[in-house]
Amino acid sequence: MSDRAPNQRTPELDTAVARMEGAAALPRKNGELIFEAPWQGRAFGMALAVVERLGVSWSEFQKRLIAAIAARPDAPYYQSWVAALETLVVDYRLASSADVDAASRRIAAED
Amino acid sequence: MSDDPHDRDAHTHDHGGGHHPAPLSPVEMRARALEELLTAAGIVDPTFIDGVVNAYERDIGPMNGARVVARAWVDPAYRGRLLTDATKAIAELGFGGPEGEHMVVVENTPDVHNVVVCTLCSCYPWPVLGLPPNWYKSPAYRARVVREPRAVLAEMGLVLAESVEVRVWDSSAEIRYLVLPERPPGTETLAEEELAALVTRDAMIGTAHVAARHGPISPPPSGSTSPPRQQTP
Repeated sequence: MSDRAPNQRTPELDTAVARMEGAAALPRKNGELIFEAPWQGRAFGMALAVVERLGVSWSEFQKRLIAAIAARPDAPYYQSWVAALETLVVDYRLASSADVDAASRRIAAED
Repeated sequence: MSDDPHDRDAHTHDHGGGHHPAPLSPVEMRARALEELLTAAGIVDPTFIDGVVNAYERDIGPMNGARVVARAWVDPAYRGRLLTDATKAIAELGFGGPEGEHMVVVENTPDVHNVVVCTLCSCYPWPVLGLPPNWYKSPAYRARVVREPRAVLAEMGLVLAESVEVRVWDSSAEIRYLVLPERPPGTETLAEEELAALVTRDAMIGTAHVAARHGPISPPPSGSTSPPRQQTP
């Protein structure tokens, strides 16, 4: 990434992320965010970066997160988060499902 | 959404070799695939991801408010502006935005202790205090701190002398309160940044005092070595 401006957080984005309530509310303990594994933190940061780069409102992600949780209420929170992120990425044509499938298979093979 | 994004679980993969102590779960592979693709496309800046978790755990949390408090402790003119027009004074340090547009700062003194609640819902000054603690939203705190603030504070570890007047401030969509705690004794030599590190979220809600850290930098002048939570004005 040479000449591209780096991702930036804005107070509006921070507030929108922090304010999510109901099923979409971030897992936290006494106010602090909880990431049970490093990949969850990566997925968290990725969603902020994608929303920022697309220039859309956080609700674009949030409504997908709510839908993903509703589709699979028993799935762990950050599994739904990744599913939501994938729909955002695909819908905005940042990558295709086939791209993600292929990359996943390659990563699985390397693992 | 028509297609179920979770269908990936149908993938069968044969590990067999056992060369990896903890094989990646399907969701981890998916997350890693997304990160690789988005990074290669220049959508996602890897250093941004590195920073964002830390930021959410620390920077946008209570640290913004702590910087405001520390500035007020070292700069009497700033303290004056903060108590007169908190929104403006907080904006001087670069903090503000939604949920922090109408801030009022209330100052603790040896005679007055302030504590903040939102009896109706969970109004909270996000830009300076970050995520509210779970107890702030609990019906028990919201109802009881108004009726019996001393008892609630004592249960939370803050025992106030009878002579101290307790003022409870009810936040609303219009006004968000921030408590300016008392600067602890023994911190006269600390720099602003060091002072900010002492200030806790609970102290800025008013459910705790700020304690000087134990250690070589802050021997209490009175010679008392009482633990921080037991101190009474």
